[in-house]
Amino acid sequence: MPSKIISAALKDKSPVLTEIESKQLMSEAGIPVIESRLAKSKSQAVSMSKETGFPVVLKIVSPDIIHKSDSGGVKLGLGNATQVGKAYTEIVAAAKRTNPKARIHGVSVQQMAKPGVEVIMGMSKDAQFGPVLMFGLGGVFVEVLKDVAFRIVPLVRRDASQMIREIKGYPLLEGYRGQEPANITVLEDLLLKLSDFVDKTPEIKELDLNPILAYSDGAVAVDARVILESQA
Amino acid sequence: MSKVAERTVKNLDRAFNPRSVAVVGDKQALGYMWLRSLSSFKGNVYSVQIDPHELPGIAELGVENYRGLLGIPGPVDYVIAAVPRAVAPRIVEDCIKKGVGGVGFFTSGFAETNTEEGIRLQQEITDLASKAGLNLIGPNCVGLYNPRIGLRHTVAQAYGEEGSVGFIAQSGTHATLFSIVGHHHGIKISKSVSYGNAVVLDSTDFLDYMGADEETEVIGMYIEGVKDGKRFFDCLREVASRKPVLIWKGGETEAGARATASHTGALAESSVVWQAVIRQCGAIKVDNLDEMVDIIKALLYIKPATGTRVGLIAMSGGQSVVITDVFAKAGMEVPLLTESSYERLATFFSIIGGSYRNPFDISSAFLMVEDPVSNLTNMLDIMDKDPNIDSVVLELFPVIRPLTQDHETAEPILDTISVFNERSQKPLIIIVTAAYSDALAAETRDKLVKRGIPSFSNFERAAKTLRKLADYHQSRREQSWN
Repeated sequence: MPSKIISAALKDKSPVLTEIESKQLMSEAGIPVIESRLAKSKSQAVSMSKETGFPVVLKIVSPDIIHKSDSGGVKLGLGNATQVGKAYTEIVAAAKRTNPKARIHGVSVQQMAKPGVEVIMGMSKDAQFGPVLMFGLGGVFVEVLKDVAFRIVPLVRRDASQMIREIKGYPLLEGYRGQEPANITVLEDLLLKLSDFVDKTPEIKELDLNPILAYSDGAVAVDARVILESQA
Repeated sequence: MSKVAERTVKNLDRAFNPRSVAVVGDKQALGYMWLRSLSSFKGNVYSVQIDPHELPGIAELGVENYRGLLGIPGPVDYVIAAVPRAVAPRIVEDCIKKGVGGVGFFTSGFAETNTEEGIRLQQEITDLASKAGLNLIGPNCVGLYNPRIGLRHTVAQAYGEEGSVGFIAQSGTHATLFSIVGHHHGIKISKSVSYGNAVVLDSTDFLDYMGADEETEVIGMYIEGVKDGKRFFDCLREVASRKPVLIWKGGETEAGARATASHTGALAESSVVWQAVIRQCGAIKVDNLDEMVDIIKALLYIKPATGTRVGLIAMSGGQSVVITDVFAKAGMEVPLLTESSYERLATFFSIIGGSYRNPFDISSAFLMVEDPVSNLTNMLDIMDKDPNIDSVVLELFPVIRPLTQDHETAEPILDTISVFNERSQKPLIIIVTAAYSDALAAETRDKLVKRGIPSFSNFERAAKTLRKLADYHQSRREQSWN
């Protein structure tokens, strides 16, 4: 049975889930995420930040804005109430300026995660082979160098293990120049959970967890993007 | 295996191992290419042709002609159809009525032409054959090749020998070229098929068949696309767990028009997904015909290496530098030998200008010194016994005329290599560089092939092949755990 989040989005004919919805869905699949809450006003953003604890991250919430940081829609490392208030105003203004027709739900408030190795996991559908999972290092590694590995769903542990070790940047996961190494078993577990989830959820067309921060004792997705199949 | 698959394999087996073959529509304009190719066929060959102008030519070939498939007495296991496309549906109907094992359609001009007529006719033969469960191969293909029984699609193909390599190609050119080029390198085919437009039987059906075929130990495939990716994936994973499967994917650079909103979607091009499929299933990816031939002959003839440490023997100073670079770049180690090996070498290695660390530079003066055979025997023996070395690589430089023309010198050297190859547990890789003469290199290669020893035409091809073999054996080991 599809998740309520999926049924609701399909009913609304909005195939692009917001970050908040995407994260709830991932959470249901057993994938750790940094919780995001929706603030519909500046004062709400400030009070949520205080509850979450500083520093926080604010991001635009709009089903029409997919590339949030390109639209000035992300502010990181906000350390106090004043910074949060200012960020809220700026994010909403930037979104209206760059995407005048976008429906703006508000701004998401989340805890600023501690630094770790940035990795990306994602799913898309191949015309011949169906859902495929991707793994790579986040940021410049995926965007410029395209240092990524793919596997066809469903994955077995060997596939997860091989695809992580297949990327050229693998040594960075083992701890480079004193950086905390990533726990590879945890990343394998995440890939297997994701494989299992997308295998059972044909309504999903594309998915990005970008980035996931990988630590020596765990990993957490700080952003998520889920796009559903458009209903005929 | 499903019941449907079992039935397909059973019927396909009849087509791949026919006792009788009928050619429909062979003609002067084609040079009677089909009937001529079948001059080597062990069973009955029939012609079906209604054009009176063609009958004398067919009679001249000593082939009995009939006016229709249904007129042929006794069963027909395989039909080759080279008829005009408009007649194709009628031939399919006759094949169904006759109860043949399979039909290969050389006829082209169907959907690949993107014409209304071509698309309509293709749909018609597809529907007829699918409904009746007829094994239709093609259209637009050269069909089946089984050298053991002399079933060929060109007179240039070898016949009369048993083989262990199955080849599956969408393209007829690649199927033909592989069979001919491969033969030069000692690759003997069990069965091969070109399947063209794949309207009824697709690559997966042939992979399933060759996977079950006891004669076939190694499978090569040239694929442009598959009809059902999931079925192909499952079949490949199952077959590749039992036999080496090499895949050469054509059309890798195709620009797929995909509307995507995610990083993943933007990066998931068809070529990288195919790479994932091949890796995930434990198959071997090759990028061209040369690589296909190199890796298959290595799988057939070269013993599996236990490690990546190579002992190199080259025929000049310059070559010994370059061969080291090439093997090191391919990820192989070129270690020093043990002290006792060097002590043994010092007792006989007296080649002026040569040296013997690793690589050995034996210089082309090698064949002019007193006892080249015993020197080579000793060098190979040292490599064989040295615990620091996993594989032995030997360059032969056929500018040395004796290797081909002076029988008295050449045979003992080749014998020495054969003896080592049979006795040693270590893989032996021969590189016949063509420096001065392609013809001399080919002659040397042929002499080695006759002795069951494959050779490579340059250092890069040899090194790349060794690397891929090492990766394959590594992935086989990984494949055994989940």
